[in-house]
This record gives sequence, C-alpha cells and structure tokens, in this order.
Amino acid sequence: MNPLGMSPSLEFMPHTADVRLKASGETLPQLFKTCLEGMNKLLKPGFCHDNRVLDVYDKIDISAMDSTVLLIDFLSEVLTLSNVNKAVYCECDIEKMSDHELKGLLKGKNVEGFDNDIKAVTYHEADVQLNEHGDFETIIVFDI
Amino acid sequence: MITKSDLNRINKYLWEIPASARSDMRVPAHIYSSEELLDDLLKDRTTSQIMNVATLPGIEKAAIVMPDGHEGYGFPIGGVAAFRMSDGVISPGGIGYDINCGVRLLISPVRYDEMKTRIPELTHELTRMIPKGMGRGGKIKLSMEEMDRVLLTGAEWAVKNGYGMPEDLDRMESKGRLPGADPGMVSDQAKKRGDDQLGTLGAGNHFVELDRVDVVFDQTIADAFGLFPDQVVILIHTGSRGLGHQVATDYLRTFVSKMPEYGLHPPDRELACAPIDSPEGKRYLAAMAAAANFAWCNRQLITWEARRAWENIMGMPGENLMLLYDVAHNIAKVETHRVNGEKEQLIVHRKGATRSFGPGNPEVPEIYREAGQPVLIPGSMGTHSYVLAGAEPGMTHAFGSTCHGAGRRLSRKAAKREVDAPNLRKQLELQGISVEAGSYAGLAEEAPVAYKDVDLVVETVHQAELAVKVAKLRPVGVIKG
Repeated sequence: MNPLGMSPSLEFMPHTADVRLKASGETLPQLFKTCLEGMNKLLKPGFCHDNRVLDVYDKIDISAMDSTVLLIDFLSEVLTLSNVNKAVYCECDIEKMSDHELKGLLKGKNVEGFDNDIKAVTYHEADVQLNEHGDFETIIVFDI
Repeated sequence: MITKSDLNRINKYLWEIPASARSDMRVPAHIYSSEELLDDLLKDRTTSQIMNVATLPGIEKAAIVMPDGHEGYGFPIGGVAAFRMSDGVISPGGIGYDINCGVRLLISPVRYDEMKTRIPELTHELTRMIPKGMGRGGKIKLSMEEMDRVLLTGAEWAVKNGYGMPEDLDRMESKGRLPGADPGMVSDQAKKRGDDQLGTLGAGNHFVELDRVDVVFDQTIADAFGLFPDQVVILIHTGSRGLGHQVATDYLRTFVSKMPEYGLHPPDRELACAPIDSPEGKRYLAAMAAAANFAWCNRQLITWEARRAWENIMGMPGENLMLLYDVAHNIAKVETHRVNGEKEQLIVHRKGATRSFGPGNPEVPEIYREAGQPVLIPGSMGTHSYVLAGAEPGMTHAFGSTCHGAGRRLSRKAAKREVDAPNLRKQLELQGISVEAGSYAGLAEEAPVAYKDVDLVVETVHQAELAVKVAKLRPVGVIKG
C-alpha cells in the first residue's frame, strides 16, 4: 500500500472526460479483486479501509465469453448492487472461477451516499493480458 | 495517430479523414472545427474513435465530430452517426450510458438588476430544493406501477401529477415523450436503480445555473424565444440517472454476447451493436425510449423544484418561470433526412451532440417553427452558455445536428492538479457568480480551465451553418452536482 492506501497494482491514468484505471494482479482472481478495490476508491474513497465490519452480503454469479468480458460484467454487476442496495462491497470471496465463470459472495456495508457517481464500467480498452512480469493486467474506463 | 497533415480540408470549418485512411472504414469521418480548436481534437483518441464509428454497418454519408468533441469510450463525445433502417445497426455506445442527458432553459420575466441582491439566496435555495441524489434518494419514491407509467409517458406523468403545466410539454423535444417506449424491456434492476431518483441532479458535469442574458445576436429569433437583454434565466443539465445507466449496461452486455451471431465484429467492444430490425435491436430501442422518457420526467421534476425555490425567495409564482425548450444530447432517433437528394429514414445517434432542426421543420414546435428549433449550449461555470437556433444548411451537413457544450480539454485528474478550488470559488464570486458545489474536488474538476473556449466552439457551429447564434448567457449562480 502507498501512503494514500492504494495498492501498487492500481494506477489512475489520464482520460479527457472519464476515469482510466490500470490494474494488475498475480492471478486472475487477484486482478478482479484489485479492480474492485479501484472502483470502490472512486465510489467512496477510504470507506473500505475504514470499515472492517462488513454486514451486507450478496451472491454473485457471472458467465461470459472470455476473461475480459467476465471482468467488466463482474464490476458492472457489483456497481448495480452498490446502487440498488446503497452499499460498498469491499470484498468478494470467490468460490469458483475460470475465464468464463465467476461465483462468489460479495461482502459490503451500507453507505449514506457515494462521493462519485460512477455511471458505468465500460468495455472500452479493457483487455486482460499477461504483462512482461507474468501478471494479469488491463485498462478499465469508468464513465463518471 | 492522425495528424493535421492526414486531414483533407473541405472548408474553413470542416476537415475530413478519408474512408481510405483505414481499410475497415465504410465512410469518411468529418470533423467540424476551427483551426484553433483542432489541436485539442487531435491530441487524444477522438479521431481513432470516430474512425471506429465509420466502420459500423449501414452508416450513411460520414461519421461526424462536433467542435466540442473529445475522447469518450466507443463513440467520441460530440459524435453523430446516422444508420440506414434497411441494413444499419443500433449501438448503445453511440448514445451513452446517460440516455437522454440533456438541457432545458427556464426564462423569467425579471431583469438581473431587479434581483441581483437575491441571487446568492436563490442559488442556495435551489441547492436546498434540488437533491443531488448520489446514493441517497430524492423526495419521490416510485412504486413499480408508477415507474412503468413514467417510462411510458415521460414528462406527461409529471404534468398529470401536478409537477408542471400542460404548455411545458409543447416546449420539449418530442414533447417529452419518445414513442415506442416499452417499460417491459427495462430490467427490474434498472427500475430499482431509478425508483428514488426522479427530481435529482446527479454529479459530474450536471448542474443548475442561474444566468443573465448578456448579448442578443439575433433580435427576431430572440423575440420568438421570449429572450431579452439582462433577463434572468435558469439552465438545467441532467439525464436519466441510474435507470438510464443500467439500461445501457444491460443491453451492452446482451449485444456483446450476441454480436458474433450477427457477424458483427466492431473494432471496440464498446461499439457493441445489433441490426436495427433484430429482436435485440428492437428491445433496446424500446428500453432506450423508456429511459429517455424517465430523463424528461426527471428534468420536469427539477423544473418543479426550481419553481418552488423561485417562489420561496422571489415571492412570485413559480409558474412565472416559463420553459423555453428542452433538448436531448445523448439519444438515438428515427428521422427522415435527404441523402443524395432522396428522402431516407435513418436512425441518428447523437452522443454529446444536439439536434438542431431548421425553420419550417414539422418536428419543431409550432411556436418556434418559423425561427428554427431552440438549441441550448451550456458552457463552463465562469464563462458563457448560449442559445442557438437550428439552421437549414445543417440538415444536409450533419443530419440536423450541432455541438452540445464547451467540451472538455483537461482530464478530471489534471484539472484537480491545476486548480486551487477555494481560490476558484473566490475568483468566481469576484466575478459576481454565486457557487454551491458538493465538494471542492468536484468544483476543481469542472473549472473553466478544464473546458475548451465555448465562444470558439459556438462560433464554429455558427460559421459552419449548423446553428445560428441567438443569445449569450452569463452565469450569476452555479449549483454543481
């Protein structure tokens, strides 16, 4: 973690109108968790760091044609649940995962309001690939 | 990377990337820009994104970028593309997640000098009356049955339930109700995301702004629109909130998985699309229309809230605030245009672009038909906003479309780095602009320096004959989402 409480595998990059995030993880599940951390830092900075008791649970079950679409659909589903249930989901216990499927349990906490209004997680520029260090890496553009 | 030397200059305000620039382009890309604005357009991914749009099946004439254009995701912001009904596609990315994000202008009978001491109070009251709604609900919680009525009838629902006047409906694009809406095509999740968001502003670049009419350029059209010098007016910018965002998310996911079956392989998944006459395409169009109706209803509810704020502070009827017009700038519409001299029905996608139909067009409300459709162009706080009118030449140049704002030039991160928000607030107040912002970070992100010069953008569309300048507005009170 850096002094801002941000994982070294997360980097916010310039985008003229929206938010471009570069994320990496040693494994595919780690990449998904890193991206979830990045999205939560936009929704409510510091919230997951400050709240250790997570009492809102929701199951998640996603299938997709490849790991890139799976990642975007996963984040979109979490964003939907965050908005509908007015909660930030800080953790995801992954029970089953492949390039095409993710099953797990989201754990979060209710919030009074979000600091940023994320409209959506886009497929634009998303491409899960192995980088030169052998880690999974992608860019994600959030519409805000 | 496209550079200036790759562009063909068609005239002083129009540049072309020829279809031959990339083997997969079906039509050229047209960029409306003055020479001064072109550098900003070339420095990010705007050109590569509009070239991607030019590859989509059934696209007619050209993929077009307006002078306020900048990179988005999939389509660039400021993008216009028209597709043939016969072999074209519908693409949610060509409309955006904030379906029917748009602007409306309320005009008062009061001159600035008559109320300038009350501007800070009114700005504060507008902030109190209009919830931001970020993770918190607004004042209205819709049942599923009421939600379906909103999705079906749009702003009509608001007027029927006492949140407006019948004449408001005559002063909105599509009368505030897009035909073809089917609430059954909107997911329960989308409805839940929006059920407490009617009458809420949202965040980002959404705002309510008190302005004074600073300059009248065209007296005849200004008279037709009810505008006069020094008049106090209220500009409202917001969209379909979480409901629209979820509709776009739901259908993009469907289209991404369905495209291979239709042999569609766009260069960017965010351009996911479906044939217009496919079951998925038809379902999306019905859901998009429903979300557009939600947005019109939302802006009508905010109008009701603004009228109550006006009453509370000014001590005069809120209904003294007349709606001049309401435009959508993120939408797809079935329209008839002339292509190669022949009338053709097309589905026109405008993402960060405004419809600007010229005089005489039957889709322009009767009260404005002689003048042309009112076009509302918000600038950035501290600069200007504009009222334009649609122009006949724009019907053939750009499918009756024009710009939608100043257009960003700096990322939000760069703006926060460059701008000292407390100092910005002081500077704005010294200019006589009252500011109410959710946070200093949000204020910095929307600072004037983050945007292009709106005067140059508007001058470009005026000179390119996409729209006619009618009046310039100067902000005196700003409420940022």
